[in-house]
Order: sequence, then C-alpha cells, then structure tokens
Amino acid sequence: MKKIDRHLRRVLKEFSKSYLQKRESVFAGMDFETLRTELVEIKDGALSRCEELNALFEAKARQGGAKVYHASDSAEANRLVYEVAKERGARFLVKSKSMVSEETGLNEFLLRRGIEVRETDLGEWIVQLAGEPPTHMVMPAIHLTRKDVARIFSRRLGKNLPEDIPTLVAIARHELRQEIFRAGAGLTGANALIAESGSIMVVTNEGNGRLVSTIPPVHIVLASIEKILPTIKDALLLLKLLPRNATGQTITSYVSFIAPSPHQDLHIILLDNHRSEILADPTFKEILRCVKCSACLNVCPVYQIVGGKKYAHIYMGGIGTLLTAWIHGLKESRDLTDFCLGCHRCEAFCATKIRIADLVIALRERLHEELRKPSWKKLAFDGVLARPNITQALFSSARASRPVLSRKGGFVRNLLPPFKKYDRFRSLPWPAAISLSQQVKEKSSQKEAGERRAKIVLFGGCLVEHFYPEVGLDALSVLAKLGYEATPAEAVCCGFPAANSGFRSAAAKTFRKLVAGLEDADVVLTLCPTCTTMLTHLGPGILGTQKAKQLVEKVTPFSRFLLKKEKSKLQVLFSSRPFLKSATYHDSCHHKFVLQAAQESRELLEIALGKRLEEMEDSDSCCGFGGTFSVSHPEVSESLLEDKIESIRNSGAKLVALDCPGCLMQIRGGCERKGEGFEVKHTAQILAERLHTKS
Amino acid sequence: MVRARLEEEFIAKAAAMDAEIESFSSIADALAFASRFLKQQDIKNIAVSPDVLLPPAEMSEWPVLKPEKKDDYLAAGAGLVEADYGISDTGTLVHLDRNDEEKIVWTLPPICLCLLDKRRIVQDLGAVAEVLSAHLFLTSLEVRQVSLVTGPSRTADIEGRLSLGVHGPSRLVILLFEGKTSGSHEKD
Repeated sequence: MKKIDRHLRRVLKEFSKSYLQKRESVFAGMDFETLRTELVEIKDGALSRCEELNALFEAKARQGGAKVYHASDSAEANRLVYEVAKERGARFLVKSKSMVSEETGLNEFLLRRGIEVRETDLGEWIVQLAGEPPTHMVMPAIHLTRKDVARIFSRRLGKNLPEDIPTLVAIARHELRQEIFRAGAGLTGANALIAESGSIMVVTNEGNGRLVSTIPPVHIVLASIEKILPTIKDALLLLKLLPRNATGQTITSYVSFIAPSPHQDLHIILLDNHRSEILADPTFKEILRCVKCSACLNVCPVYQIVGGKKYAHIYMGGIGTLLTAWIHGLKESRDLTDFCLGCHRCEAFCATKIRIADLVIALRERLHEELRKPSWKKLAFDGVLARPNITQALFSSARASRPVLSRKGGFVRNLLPPFKKYDRFRSLPWPAAISLSQQVKEKSSQKEAGERRAKIVLFGGCLVEHFYPEVGLDALSVLAKLGYEATPAEAVCCGFPAANSGFRSAAAKTFRKLVAGLEDADVVLTLCPTCTTMLTHLGPGILGTQKAKQLVEKVTPFSRFLLKKEKSKLQVLFSSRPFLKSATYHDSCHHKFVLQAAQESRELLEIALGKRLEEMEDSDSCCGFGGTFSVSHPEVSESLLEDKIESIRNSGAKLVALDCPGCLMQIRGGCERKGEGFEVKHTAQILAERLHTKS
Repeated sequence: MVRARLEEEFIAKAAAMDAEIESFSSIADALAFASRFLKQQDIKNIAVSPDVLLPPAEMSEWPVLKPEKKDDYLAAGAGLVEADYGISDTGTLVHLDRNDEEKIVWTLPPICLCLLDKRRIVQDLGAVAEVLSAHLFLTSLEVRQVSLVTGPSRTADIEGRLSLGVHGPSRLVILLFEGKTSGSHEKD
C-alpha cells in the first residue's frame, strides 16, 4: 500500500458530504426502504426470467428494425462492434459513457484495429486524454483537479489554457461537438433494456447520449443482459431511484427511451460475459441487481480514502470486487477483497439491497478454496483463536510480561520498525493484568460454592475478556444494580475474525465451541456488536445446526436489553443527575448497520446522561479498526482514524460513547497518541459510572 | 385548484434544475416573448422543431433556419420546441420524438425555448406511462423515442462543480402558455 493521496482524500470526502446532503433532500417525503424493496422485486423477477425477457426484447427490437447480436464474452462483444463499424465504413466512433465497454476493453481493441474512438462524456474524455482508467462509475475523473484538466487540455490543443472550469467545459463542448459530427458511428450503453417494446433507456446529464445516438449515421448499443426489465413502468421505477441514489438529483437532465425504427441503423449487442454463470449461483446472483448508481462508492469509507485507482480492477469498490471476481476472474479480485472493511455501510444505501459485505466474505471463502495461498491469518485463526488453551496461554504469558512491555495507561511500549506503522497513529493496549473471567471467578469464589448457574450470560468477546475487563465488570454491576444476576461467558472466541476473512472451517470450529458453551443460557447479553454479528448473522449460517439457530433468539445487545426492559427504571434512577460534560456518540459499524441498534443506544445514553448527545459529523463512518483490516491497510486505518478524531474534536464533546470494544481500542488509542483530552468509553462503562455516582 | 398546484410545483421544480420559466395567458403572448427574446439575445438563426407549427406571420419575421442536413443545425443560436407533457414532480419536459430533427433542435443549440401548454402538466411520470409506452409501439414513425428533459445540459465532472451546457443547451427557457380547448397549437 502506497502513501495516501491527500488531495484525492479531500476531494472524495467533500464529494461524499455533498452527495449525502443532496440525497437526503431528494428522498425527503419518500420511503427509500419501500421503493428499493419494490425495485428488488422487479429486478429479481426480471432476473429469474432473464433468458425469456431477453428473447422477447430481441424479438421486439428486430421487429422494430434493429439488428440484435449476442456476445458471450468481451472478445466477442468487441469483435461485433468492430465488424459493424467496418461494414458501415466507420473509421471513427464516438461513445457516451459505458461501463460495459470499459469491462470489455473496447477502446483498446478498436484502436489496435485502426478505428479511432472518442469518449464524449466530459469525465470520460478527460481520463481518455490523460491515458487513465475512470476511477468512479458516475464521476470518472473525480481524482483530477481543474489544474490537471487544464494541463491535459492544453497538451491536446497545443496552447496554454486557464485553470478555469467554465472555460474548460466550453472547450470540451466545442471540441466534442466537432468529433460527434465527424464520427461514422456512435456507441451508447443502456441503463435498461425494456422487453415489451424492444427499447432501451439511456440516462445522462450532459446530453451527449442524445447526440451520440442521433448525429452519427449508425447507433451501436452495448448492454449487458441483466439490464433487462419487463415494461416501461418498471423502468420508470428504476428512474425514480437511480438518479436520486446516484447523484442526489430527482432526475437527470436527459432520459431517452429509444425504440428501434426501420429508418435508423441501430445495432444492439447483448453481452453475457459470465452473467449467466452468476445467475446460476444461488449465493452471488443478487450482484446482478446492481444498477450502477455508485451509492456504495459514495459512502464507502475505504473508497473515500484510496479512490478508484487503487480500489478497482475495472469496476470499483465492494460491488466492483464482486463483479471483478466473476467477470475478470478470481485472481483479479484477490487484492480488492482486502479493501472491504466489512462495515456494511454500503448496504444501507444500495438501491437494490445487495449484501455486499457478506458477499465479499463469501468471495474470500472461494478465494481460499480455489487459490489456496498461504496466509498469516489462517495460522492465527486455525492455530491460535480456534484453540482456547493456546489463546489463554498466549495471553497469560503476555500478562506476565506486562510490567516490562507495557507503559503508563496500560499501553504497549512504542513499536519499532517495521511494526511502527501499526502504532504510529494509535497507542495499542497491552492485555489487562487480570482477564474478565478470572476477576469474576475470584470474586465468586469468595461466595458459597455450588450455586446454580445464572440464566443471563454476558458475552463480551475477546477484547473485553483480555483487554477491557472493566467494561465487562461495569456491565455486570449495572445488571446487578437493576436486579439481574449475570455471569460472563466462558472465554472463547466467537470466530468472527476467521469467518470475516473467509476461513469458514476455522470459524465453524471456534463458533461450535461457543454455541456449546452458551447452550444453557436463557439470555445472552453482548458487549461487542461484531461478536453479536457472528452470533446472530454469520455463525448460524456457517454452522447450520439447530443449536446455532436457537442461540440467535437468545442474543441481545446489552444496550438494547436495558432500554427494552428497564427504560422506566433508568429514567427514574437518572432523572435528578444530569451529566455535566458534553458527550457524543460514535456509531460502530456492526451496531448500526447490522444490528440496527444505534438509535437505541443513543436513547439509552441520553437517559443516562440526562441530556442530548452532541452529534459528530459522519458519526457512522468507520473509525478504521476493522479487525485485521488495520493490519492489512494501516495507512487507510490511520486516515479513517484521523477523520474520526477530527469529527469528535469538532463536536466539542468531552466524552465519546460507543458500543464496540474494537472501536474503543482504535479511538482511545488514537486519542492517546495524539494527546487529545477527551474520554472514550463503552456505553456499559458510562451507565455504571452514572449509576454509582452519588446524586 | 389542482391545475394551479401542478403548475406551481412544476415551475418550482424546473427552476430548481436551472430552467428559466415564463408564464403567458396565450400562445400568441408566448411567441411574442420569444420574438423579443431573439432580438434581445441577438440570435441570428433559430431552429424550429418540425412539430411546432408557427403562425405564418412569425415565420416571416423570425430568422428561422432552414436546414437541409444535420450539420446545418450547428448554425442555430437557439431552438424552439414544444413539449408534449410537463411533469410537476420533477420539473421535467416530456417529448414524444418522431424524427431526428426534433431531437436535434432540443439538444444542439445553446439556448432551448420550449413551449408547454399548462393543461399538459401532470403529477408524475406514472400519469403518462401508458402514453409513453404506446408511443414506443408506433412502428409507423421515422423515430419512436421518448425524451425526458429536465433543465439544461449539466456536468459536475471537474471537481464536482456544476457547469451548464457541456453538450446540450446551457439555457432552457420554458414558455408556459394557457392553451385553448381547440386550435392550431393543440398537440396530438
């Protein structure tokens, strides 16, 4: 991983901020969830009849006068475009934006055969002149500044152009208009293929799609088969969502529905390129619902740091990783899978509810199965985390060396190169002197032996067990104060790190032990949303046993449990004791996007604090911990943490509340390293402190 | 009341997408405005879409371009078109294209003047879905396409900053007029 491009990071961050504001405004008064559910039904219905609807489209388009071709792969699609152009005597072809043509490598193919190609979308033209690939599906030149564009245009025109956007746009208009009139053929993609009328829908803002499809004598459409929709009504629903979700516009400036006519020279190439294989795969077929709105990129914390030059093969981001694996091959997707934090933020914005993060995990599993590359992760998961005795032994020896290797505050002494990159931006904690389960055991041994096992089990996860036992003790004390007797779960890893990295068998081995240990519990309260995700979402699927499924019903996040069961009591307990400092809340990824528990935590904290929380900007953007992610990509982790700390600082709060021990480790460590004065605490700690503060 | 609300919403939404909107009580007033506009803007050539039927008086006074081939449209300083529908939800103009010339007049000149009968403003695209669909089935037409146009041509491809007119018009002037129950300007 190379250095982070500061300029790109700033541009992408600003773009994302403005996108989120515009998106919120255009969806005001609309129910995004209902709309996207409807679109999913339409897309799934169309995909289940993909072959039949494509056949109907073809028949109707042919009836209308179009020539329709089938391309099984990129090479065939490129050859078909070339042959149409050659047959029509077109030596020069203009294009409106088409990701499918990027997928097939059309420009290079045609160029090698003597056909000149000109992109006409402004962003695409800029990157074409720069000799670079697009870095965003909607904003291809998002990584370039006006200075870059002025330099690129100056080089093309052989004169010195000003770094002024309106001037540069006017130059593009003038230049491209001449090119469009000079072209022998125009190529567009299609945002939808409408089966009932054999027509296509093309969505643009610039109007280049209209010119490219109208001015040159030949119009070639290159579209992939999953764009099929049964009727124009379905396309209109897509149109309701696509621009709103893509750019925060109610609609784009131009939308064209083009049905063929015998008076026009229209050629439609329908590309498969492994899509039929995707459709036949029960796990991955939903990726073909993608409407290329790019919302997932616009909210992806990693994409916002590294951009589409690094986080892309041809298609970008998480969805791009999945498409790459199928279309361009598993090997091409291997490095990309490492970029996904697994934060699930993209899924909250996806127009068609694609489970991107879960599918990236499934892809990692396939990569391990098929490529069988050795990995340090496999050793760690199989050899250590899946074996509680070895894990305990390692932590025991770490504890023994705590006086030597830790420094003030319980942090690890500063690391030296080559490990410096892992703690340069955050102080890492040394394991606690005594683990949670040991501390509880010592306390209960003072009580009489042989008492019955409590029905409520507290599962804190490895970080609470070994690094932050105080969080577990505080949770237990809160429960005790409210009249609940709870015991901590046996110290066993939940298996999430292995599952998330795609090591299914190691995850199953670990998770099975945990399920057995929790079998007798009536209620399992959790302190770590990531572990909870394993217990309720990933684990049962991996293990597939009845016991694992039964466990799901028993598991509740600690804060959700308290709010649901003890809201009134807590309101009374805290009513006369407002907290003096201002506090803010960091949304931990799994807590918000998987467990949907963020608002409950806020409500609980506001009851406990007796005041409103100060909201920070991008409270739901990842802090950069991401488990092994911060080891694989420390530079990205560092950038995300910098942004998070800046947001906290700007909120003016003195206390940061959160619900995930991983975020606690990252943000507290970052604050310590930077000498920031605010406290960072788990919700359980804040509740315990508030309950035990005398009024 | 419903019509007034639709018109009001259409104007607000179209303006939000950078269209300029003028409202008139008759098509004659709208055309008179267009006439003054051409003079004020010093427009030497105006391309008129084949489906706009200008009264002979205007035709003789206006500098109407008489193109023979597509390239000739490049000389037009403005285009005059008429929309089939207006969509109040989004401020969108709907045109049922019947030939390439209509599409060119809508897109190529730097200024697009668009007539729209106020009675043809509907709430949303769903209200005209059947009409749009039917148009796409009219195999007898030279071109059977549907265009939805909302504001002028726009791009934010350089640093995310909005610029108008990168390919299509940089100004879209919508001339809303009060149509009559029947008359020479009644759209099909």
